[in-house]
Amino acid sequence: MLSIKDLHAEVDGKTILKGLSLEINAGEVHAIMGPNGSGKSTLGHVLSGRPGYEITGGSVEFMGKDIFEMETEERAHLGLFLAFQYPVEIPGVSNMEFLKAAVDAVRESRDEEAFDTVSFMRKAREACTAVDLDQAFLKRGVNEGFSGGEKKRNELMQMMLLEPKLCILDETDSGLDIDALQVVANGVNTMRAEDRAFLLVTHYQRLLDYIKPDFVHVLADGRIVKSGDKTLALELEEKGYGWLEDEVA
Amino acid sequence: MTDLLSPQLNLETEVPDWLQARRLAGRATWDNSSLPTRKTEDWKYTSLFPLQQDFTAAPVSDASATELGLDLPELSGSRLVFVNGHWREDLSTLTSDAALEVVRFSEADDEQSALISEHLGTTVPSAKHLFAMLNDAALTDGVFLRVRANSKAQHPVQLVWHNSHSENTFISNQRLLVLAEHHSEASLVEHFSGSDNAFTNGVTELVLGPGARLNHSRLHLESPQALHIGGLHARLDRDATLESFHLALGGKLKRIDIVINHEGAGAHCQLDGIYLLRGNEHVDYHTCIEHAVPHCTTDETFRGIIGDKARAVFNGRIHIHPDAQKTRAELSNKNLLTSASAEVNTKPELEIYADDVQCAHGATVAQLDDAMLHYLRTRGISEEEALVLLSYGFINALVETQALDSLRDYLKPLLADYFGATAGAAAEQCANLTRHIGA
Amino acid sequence: MSQEQIDKAIAKDYAAGFTTDIESDTLPPGLTEDTIRFISAKKNEPEWLLEWRLEAFRVWLEMEVPEWAHVHYPEINFQEISYYSQPKSMEDRPQSLDEIDPELLATYEKLGIPLHEQEVLAGVAVDVVFDSVSVATTFREKLAEAGVLFCSISEAVHAYPDLVRKYLGSVVPRKDNFYAALNSAVFSDGSFVYIPKGVRCPMELSTYFRINEANTGQFERTLIVADEGSHVSYLEGCTAPMRDENQLHAAVVELVAMDDAEIKYSTVQNWYPGDAEGKGGIYNFVTKRGLAHTNAKISWTQVETGSAVTWKYPSCILRGDNSVGEFYSVALTNNMQQADTGTKMIHLGKNTRSTIISKGISAGKSSNAYRGLVRVGPAAKGARNYTQCDSLLIGDKCAAHTFPYIESKNPTGIVEHEATTSKVSDDQLYLCQQRGLDPEKAVSMIVNGFCKEVFKELPMEFAVEAGKLLEVSLEGSVG
Repeated sequence: MLSIKDLHAEVDGKTILKGLSLEINAGEVHAIMGPNGSGKSTLGHVLSGRPGYEITGGSVEFMGKDIFEMETEERAHLGLFLAFQYPVEIPGVSNMEFLKAAVDAVRESRDEEAFDTVSFMRKAREACTAVDLDQAFLKRGVNEGFSGGEKKRNELMQMMLLEPKLCILDETDSGLDIDALQVVANGVNTMRAEDRAFLLVTHYQRLLDYIKPDFVHVLADGRIVKSGDKTLALELEEKGYGWLEDEVA
Repeated sequence: MTDLLSPQLNLETEVPDWLQARRLAGRATWDNSSLPTRKTEDWKYTSLFPLQQDFTAAPVSDASATELGLDLPELSGSRLVFVNGHWREDLSTLTSDAALEVVRFSEADDEQSALISEHLGTTVPSAKHLFAMLNDAALTDGVFLRVRANSKAQHPVQLVWHNSHSENTFISNQRLLVLAEHHSEASLVEHFSGSDNAFTNGVTELVLGPGARLNHSRLHLESPQALHIGGLHARLDRDATLESFHLALGGKLKRIDIVINHEGAGAHCQLDGIYLLRGNEHVDYHTCIEHAVPHCTTDETFRGIIGDKARAVFNGRIHIHPDAQKTRAELSNKNLLTSASAEVNTKPELEIYADDVQCAHGATVAQLDDAMLHYLRTRGISEEEALVLLSYGFINALVETQALDSLRDYLKPLLADYFGATAGAAAEQCANLTRHIGA
Repeated sequence: MSQEQIDKAIAKDYAAGFTTDIESDTLPPGLTEDTIRFISAKKNEPEWLLEWRLEAFRVWLEMEVPEWAHVHYPEINFQEISYYSQPKSMEDRPQSLDEIDPELLATYEKLGIPLHEQEVLAGVAVDVVFDSVSVATTFREKLAEAGVLFCSISEAVHAYPDLVRKYLGSVVPRKDNFYAALNSAVFSDGSFVYIPKGVRCPMELSTYFRINEANTGQFERTLIVADEGSHVSYLEGCTAPMRDENQLHAAVVELVAMDDAEIKYSTVQNWYPGDAEGKGGIYNFVTKRGLAHTNAKISWTQVETGSAVTWKYPSCILRGDNSVGEFYSVALTNNMQQADTGTKMIHLGKNTRSTIISKGISAGKSSNAYRGLVRVGPAAKGARNYTQCDSLLIGDKCAAHTFPYIESKNPTGIVEHEATTSKVSDDQLYLCQQRGLDPEKAVSMIVNGFCKEVFKELPMEFAVEAGKLLEVSLEGSVG
């Protein structure tokens, strides 16, 4: 599904990714861990095509297509979803309005018929319930005045409605209490499917107590320095990132 | 048109060549211009009618401080006193401070003269500020304050411009040039007080070099019928910080233009002002902040309380030029009207030519909140005292943020007395009404 | 937003730009007393109206072109403008829609005003001003049943001379300003509405203006009188074809709301804005003002996306106690457009209230200014105003200005003004794009969200149209 080969990328002229390679197949859950500044969040933004993130080498194929020539929304149409670490507030644009527009756009790109308003609203309400968000949030501006946890759950709700192929969760666990973390994890777990993959970007292994990954990768200085199964995450938690850096060096 | 200039020309004294050139240029502009009328946008709400009278040249006075009724804050540093625009060495104190040079234009040495002539007038675009041109034309002396680079002044400098009582209405000319060199720090207080029958035409120029920090206050404590048209013009180089505090107590005609030019990236200006009017006073503050370069910030707050038949005008303009990206500028103007015949005209303007900026302005006009007044009274506070408390509360924040302790200590009782008297209390009661202020 | 995106924003097309080939009876350019006599004679006007016009003309000659607005344009030569243009086939007035020139009807179709359909579906009565003569008025009969008078002003001059004579110029006096004086001298046609006491107008009333003839200034005059306790909602839409040269439009709209009456006046203005270099387009210099008596309410809602230069301040004179004034505005400028628009709220009566919500959006190299006056008179005890004006900038070559004048002479009045300026941020665009929205759709959504408070004040049909109009105006605004 996703094939990253020797990816190099710069942000503001500073090289962040220095030869990252990663293969993700449908149905898999991957976790990328790493210390602050290792390039974890950069990867998500490079994949989704954030302006200012420049590819300087390597290739990325998603769903069999080279995505670097594609606009951000085209990548989204293909099924790439990024749950932001810091979701942006858009005052004045209601959540419902925003969701309907996004879902319509994605469905249109797949030549699927748009939902009629009534059935869409029903789906949206269901999604709200699934992420334990009051339905009043549908009427509020996108992320406007939401708490940190509410923003994260709002991201998850969008993910459910857009039904993407690859879900990248960028530090979705940060700032969440245990209850909220479980809500997020449940949401992800119910979405796991044979034709869908997940890439969890996280600093701590606690998220992985609730979402069991098939693979764990350690990112350091812009490259994946070690891969393994979920025991790697526990090892990291115990020994800290310093251990790995020493080992790699 | 030369009516206002002619009495001052009689004073023709010998001045250095560089000053003479400026005088002639100012005179030429003044002679070729006509007084603004109510149709001139900048003078829409302020009539210059009070200037339609005969003025004489400013008389020399040798009255003592007591006779003059001088009441000044104790600020510990140098104090320069001018009476009717004339230097009074006997009333002044000059303390030495390695960071400072304070000198009158007429006494300046060669190096100082060179600096004065290099900077004088550079903050004032000639065509726009006609009265600054009148000031130029009548220039015989002024004060030059230099804050040396990389040094910090130990004490605030105080400049006092007092007008004494006189048989005839006269004109006095005031001029100050401050050059705060790079990475210098200093505090400065300008104090205006005195006579009902004087017209002060004042110009203060502040030139702040890179990284300079200047704390400036301009207190207008003149008599209720005094006339004053003045300007504060400042230029801020990169990373310079200007804190400027303004207080105006009435005047028959008081018009102050404050123009701050952000000319270097990272400059910051905090501009605060209070105007308190009663009787038939008229105060007009026109402020203009020019953001010409990126990354500069402005916080501007003006508050006014207007009673009786007084009339206040506030015009706050923020102008963001095309290259001034990442500007943050905020302006707030709040007004309290305390009488049915009082009037306020406020116009906060934003003029923006850059897109990546954060700008906001707000203005309100209202009277004291009845609910608050009622609440205080249910707690046993008299209506008069509650009025004083709330009025003072309206402007309190601006006094409290004043950086100079000694100035705050001077202002609080002064304002308390003002509100006490406004509430109509006799002197002995006044203390009671104002006892909570500054507590 | 990237330069490329901005450049595309500038490359928008004017969807309503087409001309209709109809022979017109057009007066040659020039303005003298004879021009006015010609117009008056052509309309077979009574003597008093001719005198009224001539008096306005004499006043106008003495006046100077206003220069205080934040707009710049070459001096207008008023002698080069033609002051009257009438579609020729209109000499014999059509008695029903069937008799109207099919090409004319086709024009309306292109504009999205299908008269036939509207008749049936929308229930909107339309008084169409095509260039200067009122072409057709639908639903007249149904309105007549309710006692509502809705016709062209030239017709009203003959049919209801007392009403016209009483109210014409009563809110906007002839010498009010330069363009109002000009309009009073040469006004060609416009709408007249009278709602009798206690009547709630059974449908939304609507007029579409369209400037068709080259070099014809359009000077409509609208007069709406809502008698005691009545209620009316009036919609005005405007378009003009593409032309290289600038065309002048100087209208006057007067509203009179008697005690307890309510008038809601909505405008969607989409005059031709000129091309990307600022060539052509309409000069839109309009005076709109309403007079509210006791307990009356006047509400202006405008969506302004067209015209090369706009100079327009729909105002409320709140004369009666407890009267209410509202102004909701969206002004969008793109390319070289210039707008200086806002409102005046004059509080004269006790407990008068006003609300001003203004949303300015600037893109391209345009300039967009809000200019507003809130005046609380000495007798306006308990007056209350709240003003909010927000500006949104798209691209770094445009400009946004705010000039609010607040004049208060009564301590019991409360006036509040707030203004902010922001831009469509890259982060907001990115989030929308990541969720699969193309950047154009994203910008249009953000802009629509920004304007929401105003759109909700528009009647339903117009709200939809306004949203679409913004979308068209911003078309290609981002890559």
